[in-house]
Amino acid sequence: MTQVALFHTCLVNEIDPEVGMAVVRVLERAGASVDVPEDQTCCGQPAYNAGFHDDAREIARHTLRVLSRTEGTIVIPSGSCADMIIHQYAVLFQDDAEMTRAAHDVAVRCREFSQFLGEAAPEFRAGRLASRVAYHPSCHLLRGLGVRREPIALIERVEGAEPVHVQEHDECCGFGGLFSVKNAPISNGMLERKIAALEASGADRVVACDLGCLLHVGGGLHRRGSKVRAQHLAQFLDEAADGVR
Amino acid sequence: MAFAERAIDALADARLRGALDRVTGALGSRRESAFASLDHAEIVRDAARAARLTAIEDLAGHLERFEARLMANGARVHWAETPDAANRIVADIAERAGVRRAVKSKSMVSEETHLNAALERAGVVAVETDLGEYIVQLANDRPSHIIAPIIHLTRQDVGRVMERQLAVPYTDDTRELAAIARQRLRQEFLRADMGITGANFGVVETGTICLVTNEGNGRMVTTMPRVHVVFMGIEKLIPTLADLDRCLKVLARSATGQKLTVYTTLVNGPRKPGERDGPEELHVVLLDNGRSRMRGGETAEILGCIRCGACLNVCPVYRTIGGHAYGDIYPGPVGAVVTPGLRGLEPFRELPGASSLCGACRDVCPVRLDIPRMLLALRDRVEREAPTSRALGRAMKMFAWVASRPVLYRRGAALVRWSLRRLSSNGWITRAPGPAAPWTKYRDLKAPGPRTFQEQWKAWRSQSSQSSQSSQRSQRSQR
Amino acid sequence: MSEARTAILRRLREGQRTGRMPAIPRAQVPEPSPQTADELAGRFSGELAALGVELHVEASADAVRTRVKTIVGEQRVFSWDAAFLPYDLGSVPMNFIFGTASRDEQAGAEIGLTGCDAAIAETGTLALLAGTGRPRAASLLPPVHLAVVRRGDLRFGMGEYFRDRADAIAQASSCMMITGPSRTADIELTLTLGVHGPGKVIVVIGP
Repeated sequence: MTQVALFHTCLVNEIDPEVGMAVVRVLERAGASVDVPEDQTCCGQPAYNAGFHDDAREIARHTLRVLSRTEGTIVIPSGSCADMIIHQYAVLFQDDAEMTRAAHDVAVRCREFSQFLGEAAPEFRAGRLASRVAYHPSCHLLRGLGVRREPIALIERVEGAEPVHVQEHDECCGFGGLFSVKNAPISNGMLERKIAALEASGADRVVACDLGCLLHVGGGLHRRGSKVRAQHLAQFLDEAADGVR
Repeated sequence: MAFAERAIDALADARLRGALDRVTGALGSRRESAFASLDHAEIVRDAARAARLTAIEDLAGHLERFEARLMANGARVHWAETPDAANRIVADIAERAGVRRAVKSKSMVSEETHLNAALERAGVVAVETDLGEYIVQLANDRPSHIIAPIIHLTRQDVGRVMERQLAVPYTDDTRELAAIARQRLRQEFLRADMGITGANFGVVETGTICLVTNEGNGRMVTTMPRVHVVFMGIEKLIPTLADLDRCLKVLARSATGQKLTVYTTLVNGPRKPGERDGPEELHVVLLDNGRSRMRGGETAEILGCIRCGACLNVCPVYRTIGGHAYGDIYPGPVGAVVTPGLRGLEPFRELPGASSLCGACRDVCPVRLDIPRMLLALRDRVEREAPTSRALGRAMKMFAWVASRPVLYRRGAALVRWSLRRLSSNGWITRAPGPAAPWTKYRDLKAPGPRTFQEQWKAWRSQSSQSSQSSQRSQRSQR
Repeated sequence: MSEARTAILRRLREGQRTGRMPAIPRAQVPEPSPQTADELAGRFSGELAALGVELHVEASADAVRTRVKTIVGEQRVFSWDAAFLPYDLGSVPMNFIFGTASRDEQAGAEIGLTGCDAAIAETGTLALLAGTGRPRAASLLPPVHLAVVRRGDLRFGMGEYFRDRADAIAQASSCMMITGPSRTADIELTLTLGVHGPGKVIVVIGP
């Protein structure tokens, strides 16, 4: 039994708890024993990306306190939050030797969700679900963490799932955190390109590992009355598991 | 006009967006193929990065040595802190040499200083000779891309510009358009008194200026006129010719997908005695304009940029809004970092935020510049020195305070969730309030449910432990 | 020394203390494996073909002279001085214009004739040094550039050329490296040849 501490992220906790429940079920199916530290709040990325680095440090200190009290692997179902904790905390605290050490000690225990499954459960039985799946590689997951293959490998393990090709598939969807609001017209311009590519791909769903991207793309698809659904990888795997029960 | 307004204008220009899409897509894929053909590409990129960072690390020392070699080669070296000072130096050189007409090969630094306008005021006619820049000059327009300055114009646009400005019959055939330019500009090359170029690299070891062009105008400008002025930023140095080999291997591949541009010209000094062409006088003008200040801050690394334009071609923001929206000479990811450094943070404080931090630029940069890191550092500076919204700053401060206090955080979050749910119908919000309104202008917002994940998980956990307890009890009672 | 110079250098040195610069990577670029003369010639040919450069390979000095005469014919040829042309090309009866001619005469030539300092096989590049008797304009003004290369001029890469000929390059006023005919793609990214430099390049390789 692998011990896992789940850093659920603020978006999952507040806006889409179903994603979190799917993550827990999938992790347990993969042989993990999941604990959810109660006092977690936010990784601090919105403040960091918006340029409020003192505020980000305050939030990061709290998060590091909470996570340093956990045991086992810290699993994070968000590429951007994972990148924040694993890489950006080191930047935030680069002039503070003690905090640099604290951040490092937590960072080495962290894994993004699909990364964790790839490492800890390579034989994971992924279930069955007839579907045409567009995978959207969120930017911090792809370029920040270098996680490229794992989510696709998991989708391919689902019987009946057909990955479809998306034009310029690794181009940013336009979310970018507060960018989506502060630069909404440009964010929308980027969103339109992504939605056009998704619709042209023939997918019935777009799957990603970042709830931020999914709320932005999913919200756009919904506004436009699209038949394409937006789903977190955990929800897709959870749905596929139902296919074998 | 602020960045936001320029961006909205650009978004509405369907023709521009189509052109941007095509050109950036084409240049981007050419870059990919070209790098696939480069042996040990990643090591060569590291070597190019090492060359640039070594020069920037001790830029003062390298500049002193560069100057000494140039002077030994017979060139005159001039230093300018500001655009005005740089322009005055060129105007003085022109006056002392009796220059009436000048021809220019691509120099972005001369755009920084508005050199052409200053020369005009000094009575010198300066003609741009890169085809794209020539058209921009004829049309009284501005370039929209570092490498392909007129990607925002169709060939019909170009035909109309030439017809109007040169009194030639209209044509939209690109070969005919190029032939017209060749003929007109040849006359300029042959009668010009002064040639002005930029510099792609300055090689310290030999005191060499390296220029790369495809059209041949760089060669014309450094061969025909009797005076050659090199107008360059202080940061363009690399230590040795061996470094030049590495940098050239990645420059053209990144910019246009070629292994090398057609003409790679090394200029060491003015013509030697006995030579029949080449300039009699070579002047190198070294411009600071904020670069030395940048060396002392968080964005020092951006001084390593080799101006290839690869970051533009992959940037989803640039691809959506084009170059003019950035409001100054350098657009795209590099522009968002460099412009506040050159022009000051306050007037360009929106630029560092004009990015989703996707990192595609860092991936393709031939010298691996970490642009997202620098954008984040600039955002921090913006909020300290020139904040756009004090209300947002206060809200962030409060959020940080609450987010360190879980009990308060849970209560605050519950309140926000409750208010959002009140605005929702069928699980969606179509008109978000206040500062969140821009979201719902373009997208629906998923409404929060009645419980947080923490609450759901706790309930699920206690249910499953109850059911496992009760199944244990029933197992025991069955025994 | 100017005030500007002093101020700029001072600011740079201060900046060295306060600026955030990343670590400088270590990079050892592997040397290309040694090439035989035939491999060099083969690679050079392939690159020239991809650039659209017309290539003739001749087995003797005589054959080179004949080939050049055939190509040039009765055209006015703006040439390097005879002393700098390989294979005694100066002795071939052609309509020569040299660097001593007026700019207008030079510009009126239909073809330019030069040798080279080196030919770089990796990229199909001709390296020419400026100097007495070797006017730069000969490879620039006429619409066609004919370059005569000796097999011994071939090198694999630019790095090797810079090492081998370091002194000659440093002492020349200019080194011009030419990779194919002049071109532009500024208008709608459509390729057009022969903008300011020669639109056609011809290479003759001799023994």
